[in-house]
Amino acid sequence: MSRVLIGTVGYHNLRDYSLGPKLLPKLTAMDWPPSVVIEEMNWGPIAIVQNLESLPEPYDRIIFVSSRACGRLAGSITLRRWVGGLPPDKDLQDRISEAVTGVISIDNLLIVGEHFKVWPREVFLVDVEPGREEMGEAFTPEVEAAIPEVLRMVESLAANDVSSLDGLVEMRGDNIDEQTKSVRPDG
Amino acid sequence: MCFKNLPIEFDTQGNATLKEGVADPYGYKTTSLGEEQDKLKELLARNGFIKNVDFDPVTRVAGALAFHSVVDLKKKKVLSTNSMATLFSGYEIILKGRDPRDAAYISSRACGVCGGVHATVSALAMEMALGIKPPPLGIIIRNLLLSLEYLYDHPLILFLLGGPDYSEQLVGETNPRLLEKAKKTATKFEPFHGYKTIGDIMHDLNPLTGKLYVEGLHMTRVAREAYVLIGGKYPHPQSVVPGGIAATVTLSVMNEMYMRLQQFFDYSKKVVGIWDDIFDFFLEANPDYAKCGSRPATMADTGVWDRPDVYDASYENMDKWGKARWATPGILVDGEVVTTNLQLLNAGYEEFVAHSFYEEWNGHQFRTDPAGNPLSPNHPWNKETIPKPGKQSWRDRYTWDTTPTWDRMPMEAGAYARLYMTAKAQEMPDSKFIRATGNSLEIHVPKAALPGCTLEWKVPKVWNAFERNRGRAYCIPYSAMVAMENWMMAMELLRQGETKVSTKFEIPKKGRQLGVGFWGAGRGFLSHHLVIENGAIANYQIGTPSTFNAAPRTPWGDPGPYEEAVLNTPLLEDFKSEDDYKGIDILRAIRSFDPCMPCTTHIMMEGNDTVITREVTTCACGVE
Repeated sequence: MSRVLIGTVGYHNLRDYSLGPKLLPKLTAMDWPPSVVIEEMNWGPIAIVQNLESLPEPYDRIIFVSSRACGRLAGSITLRRWVGGLPPDKDLQDRISEAVTGVISIDNLLIVGEHFKVWPREVFLVDVEPGREEMGEAFTPEVEAAIPEVLRMVESLAANDVSSLDGLVEMRGDNIDEQTKSVRPDG
Repeated sequence: MCFKNLPIEFDTQGNATLKEGVADPYGYKTTSLGEEQDKLKELLARNGFIKNVDFDPVTRVAGALAFHSVVDLKKKKVLSTNSMATLFSGYEIILKGRDPRDAAYISSRACGVCGGVHATVSALAMEMALGIKPPPLGIIIRNLLLSLEYLYDHPLILFLLGGPDYSEQLVGETNPRLLEKAKKTATKFEPFHGYKTIGDIMHDLNPLTGKLYVEGLHMTRVAREAYVLIGGKYPHPQSVVPGGIAATVTLSVMNEMYMRLQQFFDYSKKVVGIWDDIFDFFLEANPDYAKCGSRPATMADTGVWDRPDVYDASYENMDKWGKARWATPGILVDGEVVTTNLQLLNAGYEEFVAHSFYEEWNGHQFRTDPAGNPLSPNHPWNKETIPKPGKQSWRDRYTWDTTPTWDRMPMEAGAYARLYMTAKAQEMPDSKFIRATGNSLEIHVPKAALPGCTLEWKVPKVWNAFERNRGRAYCIPYSAMVAMENWMMAMELLRQGETKVSTKFEIPKKGRQLGVGFWGAGRGFLSHHLVIENGAIANYQIGTPSTFNAAPRTPWGDPGPYEEAVLNTPLLEDFKSEDDYKGIDILRAIRSFDPCMPCTTHIMMEGNDTVITREVTTCACGVE
């Protein structure tokens, strides 16, 4: 049976930007087969890399859940498949520097993990466009409305053969900013 | 008599009082920066070889720092500097009005690297305010956790953030002749690190691929693993609480911790050998490197690692328990010890906002500390944080950082300050592994795979970028051996059946309590000043090492430590034209301080929920 990790990524207490950590209890409460592990993955890309390196048995599939500002309408959901690639060395160094100094970012996590070759063949990201960056616990109505679909997608990704999934967007590390028009987090 | 600038004098019993007859004892004259800027503007207009050089952001540092300089590329010297903290850190505002028990958890978030020490310093402030004395094992475990935090932190700067500045890649790009020489220069400490030439070390310092870079990352993991065995998680532990720690300490956990700690014995010897070799090479190859990042050894340090038999958390005994620390607190001015008294360190501490995006505050609520020492209206207990975003101007305000001073002097902070103070002061009580000689610190590191040895850090003749990093390298064995001594003490207590690690406390619902936590972060001096009123936080002020180091000019015009260090830095880089110039010497000077600008800080705007994450005043283009 494939081993699957579902990891939530994001800062706490930032409304829509905290989608990942806020969904963790909901994800944990769902019924999963024993081969599926749910973890909060806010502890920094380098610590995550080191944790994955130390596993006696690697995961076959990793699914990340996070908000990600890419200029879409708030609440838009995108299902991405990580296909590898790395930015220039200087950018990579900067991202590692951010990683070791406490910045939490899904983009940095994917790139740093790629550099250290910890990703299995199948890495997916379910991301949601957040609304305005604000402090607080509650989601905006747009993101709140997207949650059932996010949970459904994660469940489906964890359980199924993904070759037939519709709407899968490829995500690359060598042009991550241009390709997705993402907004890098502050740090 | 330790104060030269503040009007504080001492009576025959040693009690501090304000000098009589001084009309405005804490008054000061604000110097205009306009004239200097006018001269620079004229020079820039007249001479094509005088250029603005901006680093925005300064990379390979924690958080948001920008640096502006004006350089003379012909004379290869720096003419003017401005250090800019480009994010507003609003923890003081977030904490106001909250339950004091939240302070450790919230203030820990001020930094993603050294959250553990913020939690600890917050706990110390609470302990003082509420009169809580932790049990011996709680104090010892706290010492251990903080040592492990340093063992996590120091390899980060030495090999990931600052280290690449001395790598084959960077030296090859900026000083190719120096690299050629390095390749032919034999090392002095091959038995410790295994490298035959300086060039071999530089090769392994290369970012991303160098063996030392990768090993540095690995060692941060070893330290973090050791920390979380008791601390639970890092960087924001929930287990550090006022009164001790909230965790169970067992023999098996201690043994697991030792397995990781002992890996730092040989790593210490290796790291010290590597950086002694690298820095000796630079300084011997070109003695002008001694000017890189130089400034007087004028530093403040809180001291760290409390003795369980002396620490009682009280302000009254702060001098006594401060001096008993494994690292001695105090003030150095131009390399000489001015005081080791934590009360006087606190009394001389002020913060100014003349060149910062804050409003001046009024009021002087606390005219003396609890021991009767005079306090300035600019003291943190009297300070109010009133953000005032505005136009960035080198003539006026240009940073979110403030200007902390001690006795009206800008102070430098760093891990190395604890080494320097302890070596010079010779007040550290007897230790199994460490001895202060007055001009050096001897650290006895036991045998592991490498033979046991005594590493001796010597007070340098000139204080500069290289000596900051060298000192930081010696702080690895220093921290490891203090950890070892505390580990042995913890084991002895456990053997005696002592397992209590915390003391219960209640928050008084009425009245006012004052506390201050002083303890060094991985990057040096850290303070949390706390005022509790009727059970809630009435004022909370955080002073970080980078608050000191990245400070703008004082109101009377003295540059902050980064600014001064870069002003004194010669441009030794090989370059043919402006386009070719990379600024490596300036960057080495800045990074030698291990800048850590509290990052990813979010605050609410008054009246709505909008969050400020970036203040868009960082671009220096067009700033006057």
